[in-house]
Amino acid sequence: MSEMLILAHRRDVFRFTARFLGYTLLAVLLAVWSGPIVLVLITSIKSNQDFLAGPFSIPSHPTFQPYIDVWNSLGFSGLLANSFLYATAGSALAVILALVPAFALSRMEVPGKTFIFGLILTGLMLPQQTVLIPLYDTLRTLHLLDTKIGLIIVHAAYGMPAQILILRGFMTSIPREIEKAAYVEGATDFQVFYKIILPLSLPGVVVGFTLNFIAIWKEFVFGLVLLNSEQNFPVTVGMLKLNSDRYMAVFNLPAAGLVISQIPIIVLFILTYRKIASGNFAGAVKG
Amino acid sequence: MTTSPRSGESPGFFAFAREHTFVTIFGILMPLAVFAVFVGYPILFTIYLSLFEWNGMTPDKTFVGLENYRHMIGDSHFQIALINNFKWLAVTLAFPVLAGLLIAYALRNRILPAAALVRTIIFFPVTMSLISVGLMFLLILNPLFGAFDTVLRSVGLGFLVTEWFGNYKVAIYTLAIVSGWAFTGMPMIFYYAGLGDVPKETFDAARIEGAGHWRMLTKVAIPQLRPVTAVVVMLTLFESLRAFDLVAVMTKGAPFGYTNVLGYIVYLESFWNTRFGYGAAISVAILAVSALMALIILKKLMKGAFDV
Repeated sequence: MSEMLILAHRRDVFRFTARFLGYTLLAVLLAVWSGPIVLVLITSIKSNQDFLAGPFSIPSHPTFQPYIDVWNSLGFSGLLANSFLYATAGSALAVILALVPAFALSRMEVPGKTFIFGLILTGLMLPQQTVLIPLYDTLRTLHLLDTKIGLIIVHAAYGMPAQILILRGFMTSIPREIEKAAYVEGATDFQVFYKIILPLSLPGVVVGFTLNFIAIWKEFVFGLVLLNSEQNFPVTVGMLKLNSDRYMAVFNLPAAGLVISQIPIIVLFILTYRKIASGNFAGAVKG
Repeated sequence: MTTSPRSGESPGFFAFAREHTFVTIFGILMPLAVFAVFVGYPILFTIYLSLFEWNGMTPDKTFVGLENYRHMIGDSHFQIALINNFKWLAVTLAFPVLAGLLIAYALRNRILPAAALVRTIIFFPVTMSLISVGLMFLLILNPLFGAFDTVLRSVGLGFLVTEWFGNYKVAIYTLAIVSGWAFTGMPMIFYYAGLGDVPKETFDAARIEGAGHWRMLTKVAIPQLRPVTAVVVMLTLFESLRAFDLVAVMTKGAPFGYTNVLGYIVYLESFWNTRFGYGAAISVAILAVSALMALIILKKLMKGAFDV
């Protein structure tokens, strides 16, 4: 009896220790990964005097003035509109380009399949800096340098490989019986693709589009090199100005700018988080 | 449509094209054309250009043979940048990849409470642009008003405080760790998904045999996660070789070029110094290093990861 009690007691101690360790670990992870973000949020609503009171001071007079100031001086309305255009049009084009290839690679014995996969991997992993010069040169020849269309086309082309993999992953999971029946009825490839596979792949399209949207929103190198005029800049290139003495004198302006740049992604993140973080796209990459 | 689309055992291209015209045009030829214009041609043009001297403006280029490469090998900026890329890779493998694996393991085995919260906060920075991440850490690591130094001093680690971007020995690691902070969510999500695919019985069997977490992790989880690790290492490798954004926003290569990475000196040499031929030669070096490392990973780790 007493032995059992001791055992039970030991188990409780063990459980308590494990729990304690778990919560300590949780606290560390929260501090490291959400601490910086919380600090930026707090800094962004500080007045100049509050800022001088130190990084951890609680704002005594919370104000939205930094948001208004940075919005106007950096021209955020234009930057956000540009980024939104690049991300939407670029991702839509990338998905459209990728749909039929994904269909072919998921259900057919395409000749040269291995070669095509090799190309997809090359396209996925190509360091962008290595193709900057030829892209710059090509766009200049086509008179697309420093144009919105030019950047959209480049984003679409470099988004396509990942979209093929993601959509192929989704399409592979669609059972073949449905389309077999359609083929027996005399349907063409196009009809099977358009009437059966495409509607069933819509969740994949949503995930692919979202990931591509975020990727273009984050993208910086192409925007930096292929654009010159400020009226074409995406958010990332426009925000580069924040790292200057003018803005870094007091941190509330850059902090507010950071928050503004991230709000569209937060909205998208909330809308689609479950689909993306469930690891579906990780599965898609594994095939 | 006489045969089912799956029946042919690798038919010739023309037989396939006759039977599947729509798929051939939009599923094979169109993406191939896109690849040719945006991947194939740029790579070939970069290699070609690396043999020339060109200011990027005039139509005439001067052929210089391997002179750009000869110059590159002796260029101390190139050497520092190359070594920095490898330092960056080492930090990325040691910090975000390892942390991602451990966090995913802790989440799957319920060592960590609040799994959904942890996954959200660690994945969130993955959705931030590196420009935002860089600006954020410029604020936090600022020597005058930064929060990080204040924290270090308050826990008695004030002696560690340094100029995180000014100290030439430390600066590149600062950048790599900041990039790791933003990247950890990626390996975490991959490992989390991978651990979900491991049959529960495998872990249960090990637990019944009395295996602790250390043995479960090293003897069960890591071997089972090999294909995931291959994908993650591949991603990490290219993330490290692509490093650019953080350098551009945080240090611009300062102090004295000690935080330059290959991608950034390609940009500097081509678009600031207008030495496009030399920039192309460095690009070829990046391509060569990427291809070589990719080949090694494919050989060592990749078996079965991409089921082609």
